[in-house]
Amino acid sequence: MSLKRNITIETLVISLLVSIMTIILMGLFLDFETTTLSIGTEVLKNNEAVTKSANAVTSVVTYFRGFDTLGEVTILFLSIFGIGLGLEGYKEKLNIFAYDNNLLKIAVDVLFPLIILFGFYVIIHGHLSPGGGFQGGVIIASAFLLMFLAKNNDFSLNHKIMELIEALSGASFILIGVLGLLIVNRFFDNFLPLGEIGKLFSGGVIPLIYIFVGLKVSAEITALVEYFIRIKDVE
Amino acid sequence: MLSSFNQTPFLHTVITIGSLLLLTIGLVGALSKKNLFKIFLSLAIAEASLFIYFIGMHFEVGKIAPIVTDEVIQFSSNMVDPVPQAMILTTIVIAIAVLALALSFIINYFKLTNNMRVDEMNELGEGR
Repeated sequence: MSLKRNITIETLVISLLVSIMTIILMGLFLDFETTTLSIGTEVLKNNEAVTKSANAVTSVVTYFRGFDTLGEVTILFLSIFGIGLGLEGYKEKLNIFAYDNNLLKIAVDVLFPLIILFGFYVIIHGHLSPGGGFQGGVIIASAFLLMFLAKNNDFSLNHKIMELIEALSGASFILIGVLGLLIVNRFFDNFLPLGEIGKLFSGGVIPLIYIFVGLKVSAEITALVEYFIRIKDVE
Repeated sequence: MLSSFNQTPFLHTVITIGSLLLLTIGLVGALSKKNLFKIFLSLAIAEASLFIYFIGMHFEVGKIAPIVTDEVIQFSSNMVDPVPQAMILTTIVIAIAVLALALSFIINYFKLTNNMRVDEMNELGEGR
């Protein structure tokens, strides 16, 4: 099958036109003149006094737009739930993507704890450095992906513990929001001592929220990876 | 001569043209391929163009990341706007969730009908 048959002139012209129109539309909506007053400058001005978090992006994600993050985590949970509906009654599945490689099998025992540790480091330091709950969660899931690739069917997850971690971290995330509503009168407001900017124990509830988000995301992405890697039915 | 490349309008032009090309690549893939996997992965490529455009257009030369470190002592107006970055973080996670759900639907569709091509889908009885 040649390239000419697959991509006709029509599709090329249509997609070029659509993309040009999309970019023009975006240019109309987002007029990029540098203004002195925007939400960003406001956030940067107030961030140090309000949250004491060294990373402004983290404080936007978890504090100023914490409700947004709750919706985001809910969407991720619903997508994993929809994927789980496609599973046929928790039947035993076989791993079809494993490498049968002895070097990888030995090396993964050394690498697995290190990658998990790095993931937790990224999660816990989310309010001090680039990174955070989502990024660290995906790093932890990548450690499990390496485990699935190296150890063929010898490695399997304990689904009860995974579900427990996911449910408890999601519930604690909402609990922090409700506690903020009860104590300080705003959903996801800060009810803990703020501390000093730049230290590990600072930012009030921001590190707590990101730790729970990280645990939830890591459990969910690991379940996702397991679904896509164990796909063949046992005969 | 190199300093003329390191100007904000030039970088914005490069980012606009690059994201346009990436959007075109994704749309060509989504419209011309027949395999369902390739269609949805092409849509993921087209989404990536949006991320690059949104983050890139909010970058200006000389501004730094909105993080306080040992060298950067306090927040100032010399920092990049943090709100678009947080929004794109949200968008990336949602894109991953939607892509994973779509791929799982494709796997289940293939298990049920043994077919993965768009032009051979005929479950509703049309096109006979």
